[in-house]
Amino acid sequence: YILKCTFPWFGMDIGGTLVKLVYFEPKDITAEEELEEVENLKSIRRYLTSNTAYGKAGVRDVHLELRNLTICGRTGNLHFIRFPTAAMHSFIQMGRDKHFSSLHTTLCATGGGAYKFENDFRTMADLELLKLDELDCLIQGLLYIDSVGFNGHPECYYFENPSDTQNCIKRPCCLDNLFPMLLVNIGSGVSILAVYTKDNYKRVTGTSLGGGTFLGLCCLLTGCETFEEALEMASKGDSTNVDKLVKDIYGGDYQRFGLQGSAVASSFGHMMSKEKRDSISKEDLARATLVTITNNIGSIARMCAVNEKIERVVFVGNFLRINTVSTKLLAYAMDFWSKGQLRALFLEHEGYFGAVGAFLELLKSSDDA
Amino acid sequence: MELNGFHCDAEGCAEEQEEEPKALRLPRSKTDASCSIIATPGADSAAAGGSALREQRVSKSTPAMLRLDSLKKNRPPFPWFGMDIGGTLVKLVYFEPKDITAEEEQEEVESLKSIRRYLTSHTAYGKTGIRDVHLELSDLTLWGRKGNLHFIRFPTHELPAFLQMGRDKHFSSLHTTLCATGGGAFKYEDDFRTMANLQLLKLDELDCLIKGVLYIYSVVSSGPPECYYFEHPTDPERCEQKAYNLENPYPLLLVSIGSGVSILAVYSKDNYKRVTGTSLGGGTFLGLCCLLTGCSTFEEALAMATEGESTCVDKLVRDIYGGDYERFGLPGWAVASSFGSMICKEKRDSVSKEDLARATLVTITNNIGSITRMCALNENIERVVFVGNFLRVNTLSMKLLAYALDYWSKGQLKALFLRHEGYFGAVGALLELPNPS
Repeated sequence: YILKCTFPWFGMDIGGTLVKLVYFEPKDITAEEELEEVENLKSIRRYLTSNTAYGKAGVRDVHLELRNLTICGRTGNLHFIRFPTAAMHSFIQMGRDKHFSSLHTTLCATGGGAYKFENDFRTMADLELLKLDELDCLIQGLLYIDSVGFNGHPECYYFENPSDTQNCIKRPCCLDNLFPMLLVNIGSGVSILAVYTKDNYKRVTGTSLGGGTFLGLCCLLTGCETFEEALEMASKGDSTNVDKLVKDIYGGDYQRFGLQGSAVASSFGHMMSKEKRDSISKEDLARATLVTITNNIGSIARMCAVNEKIERVVFVGNFLRINTVSTKLLAYAMDFWSKGQLRALFLEHEGYFGAVGAFLELLKSSDDA
Repeated sequence: MELNGFHCDAEGCAEEQEEEPKALRLPRSKTDASCSIIATPGADSAAAGGSALREQRVSKSTPAMLRLDSLKKNRPPFPWFGMDIGGTLVKLVYFEPKDITAEEEQEEVESLKSIRRYLTSHTAYGKTGIRDVHLELSDLTLWGRKGNLHFIRFPTHELPAFLQMGRDKHFSSLHTTLCATGGGAFKYEDDFRTMANLQLLKLDELDCLIKGVLYIYSVVSSGPPECYYFEHPTDPERCEQKAYNLENPYPLLLVSIGSGVSILAVYSKDNYKRVTGTSLGGGTFLGLCCLLTGCSTFEEALAMATEGESTCVDKLVRDIYGGDYERFGLPGWAVASSFGSMICKEKRDSVSKEDLARATLVTITNNIGSITRMCALNENIERVVFVGNFLRVNTLSMKLLAYALDYWSKGQLKALFLRHEGYFGAVGALLELPNPS
């Protein structure tokens, strides 16, 4: 069937923990077009753009909005919305209630949920998904946002003097050439990609110790319930009370192999002692969990970078959302363990690239029509 | 060269022949008036060396000692210990001579005798010390002596009690070198000196590890094979432990899983490098388990893990995709996010402590397996040997590692295991006894 470039324009990334939605709000609607506009399309546009929160857990990240974007001959704003995957059925329900299917638009979706919920979309809301691979979308989305920039500012940044965690400065990154890059996507789990050109990449490896592990362990260890709470606790804690450091085992540095006394020898290693367990706080546990997961990802990323002979390591994914502890740790780890050879880069739109990539696919497929 | 008809163990001999007589090593304390213990030649030595020795005990004159040393070919005085003071456990190997002549026995200092008796007549020491009898190597020939090699362990936090015992038994009067490796050899060096008047010969833990592995593998000639692997690791009906011939071991990836993990690429007995490490090791498993389940020992944690199911704690690929993630060859049963289901309160309320213990074990083990596989790939090495006390009585992790390495490498990599698991560092330290610092 022929795909039409009809509104609404959405891109959806249904991940293990979060659904990421990008929505293009046209700002160049003519009076004529407005007259013709179907009621439910208008209502969708109004609902999305006049709220910044939806239901109990939907959030529009206003600070990420891309304004006056021109794409496919239309000018408008690109909005970035997220909600927990656990609320998927409510979302589909809403789609049904708003008669979304009558709009006959293609719904481009990526992420595992595009496959998992495909039938639910069909049976509950009479919607057909165009399923796309999450890593293809990630890369296309990233390249697109990097090319259009962030309202006149660079999308990409790094930390200068990453070893000075108190005073290290966030600096915009002007990349003449993105490639080759190691792309580390930290969602519920982690995928690591080596990207050579915009059409040539491979999935190098992954790790199951990702953002979901951090949040899951934190909930169990501290009783917190949300990512924000967990981060809040972590920002106040001290992981060195929880972890066994090299100096706890050696009494100082392990000089022979260049391991500083302050390096972690055994994460959570002190917790086998009852005395120590009784003396630490929930904040310390949250911090240790964050540090453990982050450093493990950093270590694996570094190994991949060395093996693939790539110097630029770009970290994305919603684990890094509002998580400066982890971004700085990653920046430091890449720099320190590689003796300055590797550089950690970050992107402002963090976890939304898959959804953007899906959105782009919508426009591409209508181009072909 | 032989001394009085006794053959030196190959490894021991090689080291001795390289060295000069070490009269300087005895005695330790210049002002000490007590006797030095000198290892004597074997039973049928009616040779001049024997009587010279007896004289030696009385006179303690240096020139005689020098002559004696050259006769003995640098055999160190008893007791022979090797010690590895790790982040969680102290590993001790002790050589019990079984070829003591009546003469020697008579001359033997009381404290030495009492140490020997204490160690060999018990299998548990205090509340937490254990002798792994099943690992004992009998009829071993080491530096011309025949005896049994014993393997003992106790928690590192009990070291002060151990030092106290050393002091009470006047260990320092034996003027023997105490070869020690592991971080604790550095951390507790002063404590040994001040609390028990003992000087440690400090050795690098990874040097000792490799030496120990090569030695033990070379001397285990009977009983269960030292090196083994698992065939059909995940099939409970068909899973079998099979012997592996490690005669030509190089190159080898050696993964030591203690409190933390070190990964070494070993190219020859003298050429190795530490490729990397990870801080998510045995200490992490135990620490997290204690926090999540309320258990207090490694054995309890393992028992719980054996009963639990990790798939309700972890978020699998199929939980996210509804099936396999075919594009990148990720089967639905693969873990996408460890502990990922625990972000949901309902799920948290529905899992058991056993499930949490299992998930912790699986998470730590698979992470080690994954990092190991990356290293093996990069270093171009196909054989991976896993050692360290994380694997003690932990067939669950061993089978997981065996399976994971085989599966994710499509059969290219082989996971190997060694019976003496966590004791190689201590053995390597013991082997340094004839060499001075």
